[in-house]
Amino acid sequence: MRKRRLCYTVSVAVMLASCQVDFHPYDTRVEGDTGINARNIARIETATEGRREIRFAVISDTQRWYDETSDAVEALNGRDDLDFVVHAGDMADFGMKAEFERMRDILARLDVPYVAVIGNHDCLATGEELFEEMFGEVDFAFTAGNVRVVCLNTNALEFDRDKPVPDFGYIERQVLEFPAEAEKSVVVMHARPFTEQFDNNVARVFEYAVSNIPRLQFCVNGHNHTYMADDLFGDGVIYYGCENIAKRSYLLFTIDDDGYECEKVEF
Amino acid sequence: MSARRWSFSVCVLWLAALLSVAQAAASPRGADTLALAQGGVCCAHRQLDRRIHRGYEGWERLIPTHVKVQYAGGMGVVSAGVGWDYGRRCRWETEVMTGILPKAYSDRTHATFTVRQNYIPWSISLGSRIALEPFACGIYVNMISGEDYWVREPDRYPGDKYYGFTSRLRSYVYVGQRMTWLLRGDSALRGVTLYYELAANDLDIIAKCGNRSLALSEIVYFSFGVKLQIFR
Repeated sequence: MRKRRLCYTVSVAVMLASCQVDFHPYDTRVEGDTGINARNIARIETATEGRREIRFAVISDTQRWYDETSDAVEALNGRDDLDFVVHAGDMADFGMKAEFERMRDILARLDVPYVAVIGNHDCLATGEELFEEMFGEVDFAFTAGNVRVVCLNTNALEFDRDKPVPDFGYIERQVLEFPAEAEKSVVVMHARPFTEQFDNNVARVFEYAVSNIPRLQFCVNGHNHTYMADDLFGDGVIYYGCENIAKRSYLLFTIDDDGYECEKVEF
Repeated sequence: MSARRWSFSVCVLWLAALLSVAQAAASPRGADTLALAQGGVCCAHRQLDRRIHRGYEGWERLIPTHVKVQYAGGMGVVSAGVGWDYGRRCRWETEVMTGILPKAYSDRTHATFTVRQNYIPWSISLGSRIALEPFACGIYVNMISGEDYWVREPDRYPGDKYYGFTSRLRSYVYVGQRMTWLLRGDSALRGVTLYYELAANDLDIIAKCGNRSLALSEIVYFSFGVKLQIFR
């Protein structure tokens, strides 16, 4: 009897040590790595400094597709020509903390640094707080080689006029404070203009604002779950839509002195 | 992670082992056979499950039979509530609980409300005052306060099912074990039960169904609590 009781106590102790507790699926106490975008941006900027050719992959809409995202990480690690990876939003499906943590832990296995852009699903419940804690600001920019990559929150429907989305003040600062080492630019967002998430009353104003960023090459977005390459405003700026990860593909961009190339790669 | 996964499997195996022991021990035929084999008679049969439902009559049935305090379990940091046990040998319990998720763990302080249904099929007495309930299971639905959560999606979303889920209500299933100390005398406090539970929520179970790489240990959360049997 005493032996059984001892075994019982030991098993409970092991369980206590081995299991995680959950205060609420939407609590905001993040376990593990935080501030990822800022740290990875520093890595990207250092590694690509002075370069005139960069290559990066875009994945998007990985929500609840952990198997496929793991496969994508493996496929991307199989290449040796990448400088970084951009996640174009919708990391979580329901905005739960555990979803962000799981996705972060999968993406941490990437050999190259990555940055994450906020998607509409990432804004649900306390999702925005979690995103900011884990990754950083929802609008951010960095310079890879001679390319300025500007990442914008365009999920206007989620913010209900709480915040300026898209933030034209931020875009204007990107134009005014364009770094000397950058010669061209790329804009990444989750929801492209004319989707239901975008504030379509300002779609053309948005295009005017982003096309003021010096030598804009193209825009990339997620959200639609389909591959698209459209000149949305007839001004020569192509919006490339990235498929969701369940379709097992990513977009590969190469930017050099001759221009840029976009390739959809299946894995 | 692998260490956690390993110890998780050990725990699950241990739970299963205890369960099978309990099942064998609780079987009256097994007990009788044992008593007879030892040369005893039927009245030497030791009653393993001593739970008695001392129910109220009439309107008094509305009086709760126990109070509970629980740590974690998706119901806030701490939650407390009252419940009613019923059925043969008090195998069933229904509870209502309220919890708190402090500002330190969220965007602001939230209250949670939970309705639970528990099923505790067996109780094994270990000595005169202690009983082990080797298996408990149940479901509960938790609701959180706050304007960022919804049951029905806000009108700003196009269509009725833009997201197609509720962020305010979360359902859980759990399994667990309990240990009860029966108190002497006829005081208001009849017994103290310590318990733990391993719970998973609906959205995580959906995610687990679609992903082989998502381990069971990643969606199961540990919680524990105390139940005080009162009045009856």
